[in-house]
Amino acid sequence: MIPAKIIRFLAERANVGFAGTRDSGLVPLGHRVSGWQVDAAGRTISAFIRPFWEARLVESLRDNGSIALTIGDVTTHETYQIKGRYLSHRPIQRMEVEIADRVRERLAKALLAQYQDERVVPFVKASIPIPTLIVAVEVNEVFVQTPGPGAGERIAPPPDAR
Amino acid sequence: MAPVRLPEELRPVMDNGTSALMVTCSASGAPNATVISKVYYVDETHVALSFQFFNKTIKNVRENPRAWVGLTDFMSQSDWALDLEFEHSETEGPIFDAMDMQIEAIASATGMSGIFKLRAADIYRVLSVERLPYQP
Repeated sequence: MIPAKIIRFLAERANVGFAGTRDSGLVPLGHRVSGWQVDAAGRTISAFIRPFWEARLVESLRDNGSIALTIGDVTTHETYQIKGRYLSHRPIQRMEVEIADRVRERLAKALLAQYQDERVVPFVKASIPIPTLIVAVEVNEVFVQTPGPGAGERIAPPPDAR
Repeated sequence: MAPVRLPEELRPVMDNGTSALMVTCSASGAPNATVISKVYYVDETHVALSFQFFNKTIKNVRENPRAWVGLTDFMSQSDWALDLEFEHSETEGPIFDAMDMQIEAIASATGMSGIFKLRAADIYRVLSVERLPYQP
């Protein structure tokens, strides 16, 4: 479902992410996403989250299962939004923390290259929380979110698919 | 119920040049998560968000006025979370003009000139504001 070139982007270049959910009253809520992992077929994505409101997040996911993940590269602005259905959640494991560490390193490196100022590094690293929760999501749709006229275009399934 | 007021310490965070996060929800219940260039201070109880493209966010808030915005505060090592409610849209006037000028500056600084173009200033009432330290 997630095209192969976007799976590569998520694994190699994307450096910032966040999630959107909503409760039973259609009130939206945001969550920082510190890492992600896509299965080889691109049908599921695991979001590594340290929720500020874990109870609200889990309650919302169990209530309606709707979740949107927006993941991008802050320096090129290349961004994609993945919409899907909650499958499960569990505490994070050690190896997965290391995946989040790599995302943090990528973000720090990208912003250091952009600003040419070593002082940004500790601030940037501290701003990516250590995740505590893995939320598995079945991928339903993928949208381009890169700023510009093409933003919002659905790329998977293709626009002409039902 | 007394109106929720934006704390003074949030003003510099709105101006720190870091993109903000925004979540909205359609009337049918689909959340939408997007990045926005800037959150503008209007007064103690209102903020403005830029409407630059005809997109899902704009459609959603006109169907369901609730929105969530997250701001990154590197200096205090915190995030700020704002619950908002869409009130109205302005296509001219001092708020629109100020936002238009700032968006052009952001576009120029980020290599997005000609892509960012303000269509309207959407005005939101602040329902709640919460500071979320990175290290609780």
